[in-house]
Amino acid sequence: MANDITKNRKAILVTPENCIGCRACQVACKSWNQLPGIKTKNNGTYQNPPDLASAAFNIIKFSEVPSQENPVRWLFLSRRCMHCEDAGCMAICPAPGALYRTAEGAVAFDHDKCISCKLCVNACPFDVPRFDEEGKVSKCNLCADRIGAEMQPSCVKTCPTGALKFGDRNELISAAKKEGFATIYGENDLGGLGTIYAFKDKPKLYGMIENPTIPSSVIFWHSYLKPLSLFGLGGVVAAAALHYLAIGPHKEEEEKKEEV
Amino acid sequence: MAEMIRKSSVDEIVNHWILAGSCILLMITGYAFLFHVESIGSVLGGFNTMKTVHNWLGVVFVLSLLYSMRHYLRDALEYDADDKQWFKVAGGYLSHKVKVPPMGKYNPGQKLYYLVILVFGIVIAISGFGIWFMKDNMTVMLISHLVHNIAFCVFVIAVPVHIYLGTLANPGTFKIMVSGTMPLSEAKKKHPKWIKSVGKV
Repeated sequence: MANDITKNRKAILVTPENCIGCRACQVACKSWNQLPGIKTKNNGTYQNPPDLASAAFNIIKFSEVPSQENPVRWLFLSRRCMHCEDAGCMAICPAPGALYRTAEGAVAFDHDKCISCKLCVNACPFDVPRFDEEGKVSKCNLCADRIGAEMQPSCVKTCPTGALKFGDRNELISAAKKEGFATIYGENDLGGLGTIYAFKDKPKLYGMIENPTIPSSVIFWHSYLKPLSLFGLGGVVAAAALHYLAIGPHKEEEEKKEEV
Repeated sequence: MAEMIRKSSVDEIVNHWILAGSCILLMITGYAFLFHVESIGSVLGGFNTMKTVHNWLGVVFVLSLLYSMRHYLRDALEYDADDKQWFKVAGGYLSHKVKVPPMGKYNPGQKLYYLVILVFGIVIAISGFGIWFMKDNMTVMLISHLVHNIAFCVFVIAVPVHIYLGTLANPGTFKIMVSGTMPLSEAKKKHPKWIKSVGKV
């Protein structure tokens, strides 16, 4: 889909190396999107809330991975919707407009159009969509209202270290490459992600999944079953019309004559 | 007026209409979900309402389908040598010159059609309930979604064939769906073995 959106596609570049785990991005996100606080328990980790939630569009994922040089290595990873180019959630969603693509290439949602079927939750390779107390989809929409007005997403705006950057997707990628990062996660995965990561270490250390894919059943359904349902019906109607014209309906008279 | 013979009881006719009506509406709303047909959604008051309609029509459909077993299942499971021969001449549908073997109340095409609808009807209902009620189980949800759509393809291919054969391809057949009766003379020609079994010869 090399359309205008792809050319002007915006993205968030996350550089976990620079993240100090201050979680200002979490607070800014809640503030802009007017999300309520979540009561959580201390479960012995720096990560709080424990996972994405309908009231937590982004979180800092925390992993403690000691290495030989650094016995106290804390890894922070800012996690949110990946805004995939080939978005499993959008493919499977049966309600038009409930999940949609913004002009900047983000996957945004419309609370009122969501029909609460939760298919998107199960088709997302990154376990991102959540459902609120009304049973409607909710997730990061790349601050579609802000970026539409040429502002940065609130998480990026507040990030004090530059661990989050927002801008033209191609420019962000080439800049990160120039800086010498070993892996640009999401450059080509799922047609290219809208949340990309610049890693020096292996992405797996941070808990990133390798080779994310849309569930194969969803791909099979989208590529074969959907067309089959259409061509199947069309084919049967055409075959019936052809049969009616070429061979014709059952006739009692004809049989009688033959029998005589 | 010609002497008539009853082929379908009243409850069979009523149930068949419930089955047919719910099935067609389910297919229409199914297409609307699959291809985001907003006009169909608008007719039903939006996609949220359409989901409710689709779900509950599914309940009507499966109850009607299970009830229909008392009308068709026994016949649908019995096949004889004439039925085998019927398949060889393709039921006489591909040529009017072949001789179609004598049939009972239903031809084997109808009987197999019923079994296909019964099996895939139960499958589409179970998978539908999976999508409806097991939202938080990813495996169940994805398998149900796949199976529901496979069964949907079977329905959108099989049902139009059934409608064509019951209307345009066999003039007069549709009347049985209204009155439940057909002329005895015609029944003797089309269903000689059935007429014989009910002792009208």
